[in-house]
Amino acid sequence: MALNIYGRHLDSRLLIGSALYPSPEVMKQAILASGSQVVTLSLKRQNPHEQSGEKIWTYIQEVVKQNQGFLLPNTAGCKSAKEAVTLAKMSRELFQTNWIKLEVIGDDYNLQPDPIELLAAAEQLLADGFKVLPYCTDDLVICQRLYDLGCQVIMPWASPIGTGKGLMNPYNLASIRLRLPDATLILDAGIGKPSDACLAMEMGFDAVLLNSAIALADNPVLMAKAFAQAINAGESAYIAGTMPERQTAHPSTPTLDLPFWHHPEHS
Amino acid sequence: MKFYLNGTELEISHLSQPINIKQVLSHALAEKKQQQSFALALNGEFIGKDDYTSTEVKESDSIDVLFPIVGG
Repeated sequence: MALNIYGRHLDSRLLIGSALYPSPEVMKQAILASGSQVVTLSLKRQNPHEQSGEKIWTYIQEVVKQNQGFLLPNTAGCKSAKEAVTLAKMSRELFQTNWIKLEVIGDDYNLQPDPIELLAAAEQLLADGFKVLPYCTDDLVICQRLYDLGCQVIMPWASPIGTGKGLMNPYNLASIRLRLPDATLILDAGIGKPSDACLAMEMGFDAVLLNSAIALADNPVLMAKAFAQAINAGESAYIAGTMPERQTAHPSTPTLDLPFWHHPEHS
Repeated sequence: MKFYLNGTELEISHLSQPINIKQVLSHALAEKKQQQSFALALNGEFIGKDDYTSTEVKESDSIDVLFPIVGG
């Protein structure tokens, strides 16, 4: 089913990053294979080989156009609300979008978002007309505060960026889903396998944003397809409604009759 | 006048002050980069393209010129 966020209609529930691919061509083919319509990118002073500049910029624009999608700039590398707000404004001018994936990092070891600075930045950007998609931890109260500020989309992490550890704390994520039923929840960061994405969707998350799990796969294009399928499967499962978990075995074959007679076992 | 461009100290001495951002870029930023897509901040504050001519650069100011890059 389609996803609507901040008034934009999306056919794909996979948001994808543009970094870490073996080459621009592989990036392009992987993004196209994923079907994703939202591609993240950033702004930096440095120009690593083949990772920036007009060539990659042109490539990303082509890919987005082919998938009828749009760009989602991030504020990666920012460590304060002030830096994030400035970078968001620079991105708005350059990329011609008021959408921003808001990242404010508080710790260099695990790249954990700084909740205090994140809230301050979100408040300023929302007031300035931005459509804010905040990347945060799986802390329920932080997610609530961001939603109360006006963030229609909340993006808690599965685990630290680039670890591929999957859902570290499914209980926290389920609690966020339960307590914020009207928020659009996108699981962002730490996803390693398609089954991680599927699990999040089965839990009722609205979408998944990832990069490394596809870009660092042996075959990024095939992995992009796998993630797209997993997300579709998880979404369908959530809509279908999973059976309740039970403590004891229940025969699935009718017990009205048995093929052979047995002595009754201890009950 | 000394200033910082993307963290590197630079000096412009042949232009009469005040100097605006547009003048700084035309002298300090490589021509190839001037033709690329970029956005700019002065002392940590965003400056829009429409304001390059009207924004003065002062001694020890810090200019950051950022370019599109892949990102997650």
